[in-house]
Amino acid sequence: MAHTESSENTTATLTIDGRQVTVPEGTTILAAAAELGIKIPTLCWLEKVSTTGACRICVVEVEGVDRPMTACNTPVKAGINVTTTSPRLEQIRRKTMELLLVNHPLDCPVCDAAGECDLQDTCYGLHVDRNEYGADLEATPIRYDWPLIENCTTRCIMCEKCAKVCHEIVGADAIEVKNRGECAIIDTTDGKPLDCDFCGNCVNACPTGTLISKPFKFRGRPWTFTVTPGICAFCSSGCQIEYHSRDGRIERVTSSDVGFNRGNLCINGRFGYSAFNSSGRLTTPLLKHSDDTQQKAGWGQALSAVALKLKEILTASGPNSVAGIGSGRLTNEESYLFQKFLRGAVGTNNIDSEARLGYFPAQVIQHEMLGYSGATYAMDAIEQASAVVVIGADLKGESAGFAYRVIQAATKNNAKLVLATSRATSMNKFANAFLQYRPTSEAWLVAGLNKAILAEGVENKTFIGSNTKEAATLAASVDALSFDQISAVCGVTETELREAARLIVGNGRTAVIYGSEVMRSADSAAAVTATIDLAILTGAVGVDGGGIYPLDEKNNTQGMLDMGVCPEYLPGYHSYVHGAARFNEAWKAAIPTTPGKNLFQIMAGIESGEIKALFVVGSDLLHSLPDRNRVMKALQKLELLVVQDLYLTETARLAHVVLPAATAAEKGGSFTTVDNRVQCFSAAVAPAAEARSDARILTKLHDLVAPVAAIAAASPTDLQHEIATLTGLYNEVCDHEGCRMGRAKNRIGQPALFKAFAPAPLAAHDAGRPFTLQIGPILRHNGSYTTWSENNLAVAGQAYVEICTRDAATAGITTGDSVKITSGIGSITLAARVSDDLQPGLAFVPAHFREARVNQLTTAATGAVAVKLEKA
Amino acid sequence: MAQVVFSTWGREVVDNRNVSGEPQAVSFKLPVAFDGERPLRAFMGWDGIILFDKDVDVPAMTAEYMKRVQTLYCCGKCTPGKKGTKVLTDLLQGVLAGTAKEADLDKVADLTDLLLNCKCTLCQSATVPVLDAVRHYRADFVARLNDRREHTAADEYIHKITAPCMDKCPSHIDIPHYIEAIKNYQFAESLTTIRESMPLPSVCGRVCPHPCETACRRKNVDDSINIMVLKRTASDYEWQHKITPPMQPKPRKSKSIGIVGAGPAGLAAAYYLALEGYPCTIYEALPEGFGGGMIAVGIPAYRMPRNLLQRDIDIIQAMGVEIVYDCRVGKDISLPDLKKKHDAVFLAPGAHRSKPMGVEGEDKGYKGFLPGGIDFLREAYMGRPTGMGKKVCVVGGGNTAIDCVRVALREGAEESVLVYRRSRKEMPADVWEVDGADEEGVKFEFQVLPTKIIVNDKNEVTGVECVRMALGEPDASGRRRPEPMPGSEFIIECDTVIPAIGQDPDLGFIPPDMGIDITKWNTVVTKYVPLKDAAGKDLKDGMGNMLSRSLITDCDGVFAGGDAEIGPLTVVACVGNAHRAATVIQRWLEEGKVYLSSDDIFDDLLTYLGVYDKNEKVAWLDSASRANQKEVHGKQRASLKNYNEVELGFSDSTAQAEADRCLRCYRMAMVTV
Repeated sequence: MAHTESSENTTATLTIDGRQVTVPEGTTILAAAAELGIKIPTLCWLEKVSTTGACRICVVEVEGVDRPMTACNTPVKAGINVTTTSPRLEQIRRKTMELLLVNHPLDCPVCDAAGECDLQDTCYGLHVDRNEYGADLEATPIRYDWPLIENCTTRCIMCEKCAKVCHEIVGADAIEVKNRGECAIIDTTDGKPLDCDFCGNCVNACPTGTLISKPFKFRGRPWTFTVTPGICAFCSSGCQIEYHSRDGRIERVTSSDVGFNRGNLCINGRFGYSAFNSSGRLTTPLLKHSDDTQQKAGWGQALSAVALKLKEILTASGPNSVAGIGSGRLTNEESYLFQKFLRGAVGTNNIDSEARLGYFPAQVIQHEMLGYSGATYAMDAIEQASAVVVIGADLKGESAGFAYRVIQAATKNNAKLVLATSRATSMNKFANAFLQYRPTSEAWLVAGLNKAILAEGVENKTFIGSNTKEAATLAASVDALSFDQISAVCGVTETELREAARLIVGNGRTAVIYGSEVMRSADSAAAVTATIDLAILTGAVGVDGGGIYPLDEKNNTQGMLDMGVCPEYLPGYHSYVHGAARFNEAWKAAIPTTPGKNLFQIMAGIESGEIKALFVVGSDLLHSLPDRNRVMKALQKLELLVVQDLYLTETARLAHVVLPAATAAEKGGSFTTVDNRVQCFSAAVAPAAEARSDARILTKLHDLVAPVAAIAAASPTDLQHEIATLTGLYNEVCDHEGCRMGRAKNRIGQPALFKAFAPAPLAAHDAGRPFTLQIGPILRHNGSYTTWSENNLAVAGQAYVEICTRDAATAGITTGDSVKITSGIGSITLAARVSDDLQPGLAFVPAHFREARVNQLTTAATGAVAVKLEKA
Repeated sequence: MAQVVFSTWGREVVDNRNVSGEPQAVSFKLPVAFDGERPLRAFMGWDGIILFDKDVDVPAMTAEYMKRVQTLYCCGKCTPGKKGTKVLTDLLQGVLAGTAKEADLDKVADLTDLLLNCKCTLCQSATVPVLDAVRHYRADFVARLNDRREHTAADEYIHKITAPCMDKCPSHIDIPHYIEAIKNYQFAESLTTIRESMPLPSVCGRVCPHPCETACRRKNVDDSINIMVLKRTASDYEWQHKITPPMQPKPRKSKSIGIVGAGPAGLAAAYYLALEGYPCTIYEALPEGFGGGMIAVGIPAYRMPRNLLQRDIDIIQAMGVEIVYDCRVGKDISLPDLKKKHDAVFLAPGAHRSKPMGVEGEDKGYKGFLPGGIDFLREAYMGRPTGMGKKVCVVGGGNTAIDCVRVALREGAEESVLVYRRSRKEMPADVWEVDGADEEGVKFEFQVLPTKIIVNDKNEVTGVECVRMALGEPDASGRRRPEPMPGSEFIIECDTVIPAIGQDPDLGFIPPDMGIDITKWNTVVTKYVPLKDAAGKDLKDGMGNMLSRSLITDCDGVFAGGDAEIGPLTVVACVGNAHRAATVIQRWLEEGKVYLSSDDIFDDLLTYLGVYDKNEKVAWLDSASRANQKEVHGKQRASLKNYNEVELGFSDSTAQAEADRCLRCYRMAMVTV
């Protein structure tokens, strides 16, 4: 860390314990010693946060300085002579530890941290076995009244790691040091029970048993668990985690600070594992009987029933009467097997997923303009950006890992942050500009931002001049709109847009992140095009840029698409014309050479009777698709509905055959995040009860429907080889140790193509339905998956409708009131929550909760719908 | 005369307990009576103990000192501090309770040693007087722990937390705390701390002469912390992140305050009174958009961007303060009328009247001889004709003179010359301001005294006759007195002369019959606590004013502050003074009496005693050098009408690293009365 802004990259050579080392100026003595392999004991030091210097264990002697200096927060100086061990230092460390233990409870036998306690280890390491000091006990309270986390304040050694992680990494600012002297404790900032992100990163950072996970408390001693590395199966941040399991059950999830995500998780990653242990898990296959009841069945029976019925339909109506819906929850290998089953065994290209609702169409546009889908770089590049623009995303709600990176950029690396969302979010406090646009006006807002950048002359002229095409089309697109027009539609003034523009391109390295409000905008094509134009205009997608980052809520949507779970493309985005022959040869199959039906066409096909069999994997269509009643009617019409999932979802309840699948912890494979990192993992536990991995089920089914000898015998390695060879997209060798796969790097060198866009007028205001209801993600859940997790439910138990203070006052609604929400096609009733994050005329309902049935109100993929609100 | 019975202050033992004959003479910069009434019997602090009264219960005092440090101020954020002071506190309480053993007393030295490893200096410095007491009064401690009798607490103690920088800051901002917040990336919290004592943070983050930095202990290691720019960082963070200022005034009260002048003192008093719920109306002579008093008219926009000054004013107005512009008290409304309108009146008119130069021809009304530096800056700022020509000669050596030469360049002067009678290093102007002028192309004529204005037949200025000065014997200020060198007369050709040698308050608006006394320096007289030293002399502050003033004038209900009360000084001095005035006014409105609290008096006592010791040896590794803000360089920055800010502040990460250099030099003083 350079100290002055103008300082050059200079180094300093110093001597530590008689050995010379040269390090960059600003390096701490602790880090310099580590270079030499000299380990100085620490307790409060945590690499990822600012130094604290609290414990005073890391004291070292510097020749010529009369007091010992703390190694953790003292920068080196050229020529100094440092001693890290001496009788005097040993004495200070030991006596400091003795002080630390004054009033520390001797409850190690029942302390959750025993066995993984840094305090214990340090005492042990320093031979602290007695205490010369004593004091009257100041009993500080144990906070049992916090959800998910317990705070046993008497065990605290006041290292402040928790509070620093909460503030510097998560940005939640939920906890801090309270009181003075011996009574100083970690407590909530407002003294009330904890009400935060519940990411549990504080628990991960706590070196003692002060902050502990309540769900894990008394589940077992730490050393009795098997620890298996894994990749988080919730959002698309792809965090590296560790499953702690015993007796086939995941009992907690931790993450190591040395991993890609520096040990930082969100509530889903840390506590969402209880979804795996949910009593709602499917444990055996179910078969629907003639009386319409679903009865338990054996695997042989269930799979034969699927194969038999499928063949019958195939014979009668041909392969195009069958369709499949995949899932961003499956591994790459499973998605590959799924589409291979449909294309190769069944013979249909009718295959799609929920990505059709936003992510996939956006990536098609992005691919056309940039030559790749997903992000430009791995997400850690965001930390090095000089400006970050977030458009249409509640960043923590969609992908907390991205939020953490943006927080680092904004707070530690001086990046300017521009947020453009219709709702204020928890990221607002980091923002230098907040462009709160009218709901559904995303395309206008981004058009305005592009216009402002050109008007201010702060576009990246070097990049535009050297490596883009059709710059005139963008100029024409924005010239067609006046600032007055733009402001009138999106509600953001020209001044605000220009101010934001100046922040964005100030000094060059811009990152652009776009989320569901853009991809699921009513005018999504224009919104996405304008956003990618913005990324080109600012040079974000150039080799010196900060990159473009599309977000998706599910962990493996990008991987699923890469694997060809879409009707337009074969795996690796090969067109049928180009790739079918090669795949046919490899698969010994005859793939139809025309694109299949997409999600909407499949639904229409079912309604028209054209599609008779639907195979749904890991997707609760009744919950996720618009117009619930229509979906219900359609699904009920099917001759065969197979649902392969973890839970008995409402879609599964309609199925003729229900196949219980395995969770991410119960299987191996690889996930590809939206930033194109491919990460492999192996199973932490065996599948629960009779559940089986999707791969195993699909392989078996493939065998039953179209026996191909090769597939049954394929080992995971063979399968990955097949994928790599056929897609051309995934390398067989990955950068990551332990991985066998990797995605070919994005070709960021190729010219980027500007594309014209014309924002559509907003839907006319409907006096009868004056509110725009936005349906979207919130921080404490991920998809509908975590609504099966009792841990998540403990802090976010049910849906609600959020409205702003002004609208609430007008309607006489207060928090907790029942509110009836009516759209053009239906109505639901939810409890109200009054908030100042929303603008007048906007209402928000979290998308996660199945019981809320919010899709009874919607007709299109867009996350926004016009509604009427009334106190119920 | 108060006799020192025993002292270790300054790490020198003076023991007059059992001397036969003449006791050792020693004196300290302390009053004989704490508040002018109660004798100051003992003083205890970071540098030792001082006993003036042999009957002080030393073990009880020592135990109380440690207990207050541990329970009231120890931040608990380092092991030796949190735990060590707790062990010490309980040990000393054990002595008083008779539960401790004599051997326990030996642990004090051991713990003192261990507390040297504290993160900061509060707990560490607290062991100094404690160990002194235990060492030198051991018999008393031993007697006490063997004495099972009930002891009634007879002595009364008053304490104060301070730090060298905090003490030196006339506003007594909790500097270590706001710096620590920045170190912890808590910029908003930092600003909240600053605002507790400084309601104009964007101003004092930019133009403060930062006396705090002259008392920074880090200077004893390498170089002081850049305290001012850190304040700017916290203040800029707020508007750069669109954060709404968090202040919530208390429910509105009925009694109102009328304030004369929207300068730093008037605004600060209004801020703190408004926070308490008092309706305040400020009467400002200048038109709307030109609030800020001397900050607005005296500090050019390239040092203090107007939008940010206005933002600080807007924030104060948003707290309910009303500002009536274009209203000169004494002309548009009389002071007696103002007094009738409000329950209390605070006079903060500033010091805006330029002092005469005492040079031949200055009173002749020559064209090109301008009334004064402040007048020139004000007219330039307000966009009115200044009367300036092309070749400008400014006379003076203070910041205003520097501002004038620099503004003259921005107003289109082809040549801008500064004439000062002493040498460059003796200029009262801040060094960085002089350097700034230098960089912009200002010419300096040092050790030169103007003697006569030269004019043509149309009475237009054509030059200044000057004489060169030689430095003679040091005068009362310690600076060598400049004396004219015979025969060295010469002429500086110019068409404009701006005298900028200082300002006086203009108190003409105060009717003589109101009973408000005015000093010979033309400042308002206010009441004070009669603090005297052992020789019976009044204790006075650096400006020659009584040390501890309650800021009420001789007229009931009328208070005064700022430059018009202190004498022309600094923004930060005016703010500190007005903050006190606000508290005193509140007491007067609520309790009907005017007084200073022990805390107020203690502030003044510490400032008088001095908290910073430039000779202290501070053991620390000097491996992190001071960060300085970037600035715009080159002559271009002073081009015509270019009032863009010259200094650019810190990036947040630089600020964080700079904050990490702070040694957090808190310490606690306690007196026994």
